[in-house]
Amino acid sequence: MRKVLAIVRANWLTTLSYRLETFFSFIGLFIAVVPLYFISRALQPMMSSVIKSEAPEYFGFLMVGLLTFSFVQTAVNALHGSLGGEISTGSFEALLATPTSFVTLLAGMTGQAFSMTSIRALVALLFATAFGAHVIWSSAPAALLVLVLIVLSYLPFGIMAASLVLAFRTTGPFPGGLLAVSGLLGGVYYPTQVVPSWLQQVSVFVPLTYGLRALRRSLLDGAPLTSSAGDLLVLMAGSAVLFAVSIGMFAWALRYAKRMGTLAQY
Amino acid sequence: MITAVASPNVPTPREAAEAVPIAVSVRNLTKRFRIRRSLAEMVRHPFRVEYQRALDDVSCDIRKGEFFGFLGANGAGKTTLFKILATLVSPDSGTVIVDGHDVVTHAGAVRRALTPVIADERSLRWRLTAKENLRLYAVLYGVPSGEIKARVDEVLEVVGLNAADRKMVGRFSSGMRQRLLIARALIPRPRILLLDEPTRSLDPVSARALRNFLKQEICRKLGCTVLLATHSSEEAFELCDRVAILDRGQPVAIGETDELVMRVTEERYRLWTRTHASDEVESLIGRDIASKIALRGRDDNGWTKWDIDIPGGLDSAAQAVDYLVARGVSVARFERIGISLGELIQRITSREAGGRRA
Repeated sequence: MRKVLAIVRANWLTTLSYRLETFFSFIGLFIAVVPLYFISRALQPMMSSVIKSEAPEYFGFLMVGLLTFSFVQTAVNALHGSLGGEISTGSFEALLATPTSFVTLLAGMTGQAFSMTSIRALVALLFATAFGAHVIWSSAPAALLVLVLIVLSYLPFGIMAASLVLAFRTTGPFPGGLLAVSGLLGGVYYPTQVVPSWLQQVSVFVPLTYGLRALRRSLLDGAPLTSSAGDLLVLMAGSAVLFAVSIGMFAWALRYAKRMGTLAQY
Repeated sequence: MITAVASPNVPTPREAAEAVPIAVSVRNLTKRFRIRRSLAEMVRHPFRVEYQRALDDVSCDIRKGEFFGFLGANGAGKTTLFKILATLVSPDSGTVIVDGHDVVTHAGAVRRALTPVIADERSLRWRLTAKENLRLYAVLYGVPSGEIKARVDEVLEVVGLNAADRKMVGRFSSGMRQRLLIARALIPRPRILLLDEPTRSLDPVSARALRNFLKQEICRKLGCTVLLATHSSEEAFELCDRVAILDRGQPVAIGETDELVMRVTEERYRLWTRTHASDEVESLIGRDIASKIALRGRDDNGWTKWDIDIPGGLDSAAQAVDYLVARGVSVARFERIGISLGELIQRITSREAGGRRA
């Protein structure tokens, strides 16, 4: 844990050394919330009936969807992004030379991205609340638990993408395609019931479908987690299977890169 | 010539050296890489796989506290060997034992004993200070929390960067960054240090300073076993106690540096004479003092230059000078010629081939 925190700290110090960029990224967050509020208000009459099982109003529904999706993006992209970055700067070789396990290195390399996403999400949620989004803060611990499950269900895809970078130095269209499908069919902007029936069959395979439904019920509707037990079980089972596959894939990629001599090569 | 007479109880220097424990043992190490093929070739022969041999049956032992050089041209296999030692590449066959641990089965223990100096400046975090960079690696190398500050200060002192410890690495000169890279590798107080062409991006003055620093501070004072990969014969001969010369993945010679230098470079000399004096100089061959003579021309000041191969060590060289002076040849300068790495490898391989024929 000490090693993970040391890498996270170093990455934070690097990020914060770009002071103006960090400042503007938070200003940008505020600027993004304002138009969302007005668009949501305009769509509220049309959406209120279809979202009623998950949220009382569309602005909160949309904000929770988008903020959760930012965690999904981090889970899928942070690992291969930071791995690729460390490889291209040559610092990955220096990290590998230390007696530090791969799991520790990867956790450290993604820790800063996750902590940044968390801070940004919290700030955005506070902005949204200030604009009138209906958030039940007493349900926040339960919602956080669901959010962790969502992240855990997407992290294996991040590990798979990192395996591709390790072995072939590219992820191809894999993360982009996965995020596009999850964003469109996972219920980020609208509930999955409103998509055509043939597409609904695809959304059954998207982990975000189950996670977002449970998260919104909890954070926006105040429903207990037991009411989403089915969704959470699907999420957990899917995560377990995906983790097993992704770890196997990563172990193979590591062996392959060591054999081919490309482990720390640019 | 001075001859050392060893008493039965006092070991000779060679015996003493051989009694030192082994830090790194490489046995029959072979590694080959798949060759990337063009698209056209892949279409023509989809199932053909071609390999290039990077290391071919390499064996050597490196003693504790030794400064050992791997000398070879680009593509000789030095970096591959270092990557195998650093557990970044897996060998195809053979065994590599570092500080008693196998690089394949006990990679973690190997990484605790051996630290490579990653010579790429970009591997530093340029937006952080020298101290912050070292602090990160101190944690990753498992230095206890209470010791980190002292250890960071200690290595900064060793590399002479203590005055710049709070300066952002991005504002360092190239030489300072090279020293910081070495400081980073010294953080865990490694028993074995790997240096892959550490002076390649330095100017001659900084390179010389770094060489002195490596020899005096790292090897002599800290007692580190240092493995150096270089394509500069000058660097290897100046720094190393022993040298292995690699050529296309194969070791063509391993030995004490002084011995190796004498073996391959003692023969060729450059001679400056005032007069053309070709008869006298060329008669060195007839006298069996020189084996080969080449006229190199006359310079603007009227001195004539000759390249002469004189086998038989310094005694024969002295004999050649005596012979010419006795015949009234005005000798202005007589010096041994350094040879390029390519020539060195060629000489060694031709000697090896000659030895095998004999």
